[in-house]
Amino acid sequence: MTAGLLSAPMLWLLLFFVAPVVYVAAYSLGAIKLFPADTGVISFDDWRHFLAGGSVYLGLFWKSIRISLTVSIVVVLLSYPIGYFLALCVRRMKYVLLLLVIVPFLTSFLLRVLAWKVILGDRGILNSLLFSLHVRSPDDPISWLLYSQFAVMLVLAYVWIPFVALPIFVSLNNLDRSLLEAASDLGANRWKTFFRVTLPLSAPGLLAAFIFVFVPTIGEFVTPLLVGGPSGYLFGNAIQDLFTRGTDWQTGSVLAMFLLLVVAALMALFGRFVQVRAVTSD
Amino acid sequence: MEIATSKGARVWLTVFFWLLVVFLYLPIAFLALFSFNAGDPSFPLSGFTTHWFTDVLSNDSLIGSLRHSAVVATASSLIAVALGVMVSFALLRRRFFGKPAVSALVFSPLVIPYLVFGISLLLVFALVDKVLTAWFGSYIGLGLHAVVIGHVVVALPYTILTILPLLERLSVSLEEAAKDLGASSRETFRRVTFPLLMPALISAFLIAFTLSFDEYAIASFLAGSQETWPVFLFSQLRVPSLLPQLIAVSSLIFIASMLLVLSAEMGRRIAERRYGSEYAARGFI
Repeated sequence: MTAGLLSAPMLWLLLFFVAPVVYVAAYSLGAIKLFPADTGVISFDDWRHFLAGGSVYLGLFWKSIRISLTVSIVVVLLSYPIGYFLALCVRRMKYVLLLLVIVPFLTSFLLRVLAWKVILGDRGILNSLLFSLHVRSPDDPISWLLYSQFAVMLVLAYVWIPFVALPIFVSLNNLDRSLLEAASDLGANRWKTFFRVTLPLSAPGLLAAFIFVFVPTIGEFVTPLLVGGPSGYLFGNAIQDLFTRGTDWQTGSVLAMFLLLVVAALMALFGRFVQVRAVTSD
Repeated sequence: MEIATSKGARVWLTVFFWLLVVFLYLPIAFLALFSFNAGDPSFPLSGFTTHWFTDVLSNDSLIGSLRHSAVVATASSLIAVALGVMVSFALLRRRFFGKPAVSALVFSPLVIPYLVFGISLLLVFALVDKVLTAWFGSYIGLGLHAVVIGHVVVALPYTILTILPLLERLSVSLEEAAKDLGASSRETFRRVTFPLLMPALISAFLIAFTLSFDEYAIASFLAGSQETWPVFLFSQLRVPSLLPQLIAVSSLIFIASMLLVLSAEMGRRIAERRYGSEYAARGFI
């Protein structure tokens, strides 16, 4: 019975998920010859080139990490008050307001990035608004708004805030209120209660929220493609270019595998804080 | 006394909350506004028009890409929901060796970078085609079928996460009663479990559908010449004169996906109310 239930989904995942990933790993080591230029000889050369000091791609990787870290921290800091407000200050309408924050995340990602492209351009909505109000002259638009690292970080933060508010809300909402009362009865003021009780108890939710943003943004390439310009070019863009603009798929596979390993390592370290659901407990 | 916040802090939090809501919705509102603007998407506004919307109707490649996306989203969500039901049943109703491993496998598409996954499938298709060409002189090639294959994988964990909570709360005794009354397990599923699961299945379908319809990274590698809507949108963004049209379609899709998401959420809530209500805020996570 169980075999019957599981065979179709497992077959699908093995054929179209596990096998392809294993295949990329093999390809990154040169085990498979796909193009005439591929060596077809197993070696770690491409890996060594990539990991060697001064490699362009490794530099891009650290740039991506830096941007993801900044975005994740900003997003968590902005979402925490939202979660706190919804969980502990609002009584009625709690879930309606929560939904109000979350709904943008469930709608088109592309549209939300596109909106910023239209807003931030030299002749875009924001600059043209400043022209109309005579704050800036049309010859002198604020040009760092679009095609910059700033734009990438702004848009990524914008995209992820609604998603991150949720785990923070859940952790604060599940907080036992009597603990707060106890702290207050024992003479702690609100700040002390917050730092000694609320914050530590919501730490797992905070960490989950952080991972929720950090992991997917490391490999981000769509947002930089739209609003990043040359200075916002990231590791993910390098991977995409290697596959779409040339035939050095082997280097591309090394980069892709490396990204996957980093994500896997992060999940192995912090995954237990991100409880998808406790279905495996029995 | 309110312990969580002082009165002053509460005011600040309220203000902060609403500012953030404005920040979240303002860009989208701008897009909607400029889809009715006669000129370029910039200030000052140059007059009301609906011709961007009517222009879309005569843009065949745009309509074609929307059709491609509709086909991919429908096919991939149907398959993902079917597979999701099977996995949910196995995880909840069965004991078997290696359950943690199976669970880890089905949920791992949640964290794999779509970029890496898209590339992996691209490589596999390249290899399969190379072998087929060498042996049979023909090949499969990229296209919508490839996108469907990829989207099923990434949608599967979401469908499972939607189906599991409801299934968890469907009393096993209902199924046992059906069996005691002589129903085969197939019949039990068809006449008892399936109808009771319906709200969750619809929710799961809608979530998978919106996910697929909006997915760019995987589709960009696998669609080949059969561009889906996001792939088409990307390729056309370089043409400034097309921007208002693209904005118009995007706004429509935004409204549609918002309605879909809200109805999925409503469906989930109705189901929840029907079976009790302890997992109110769990939502899609």
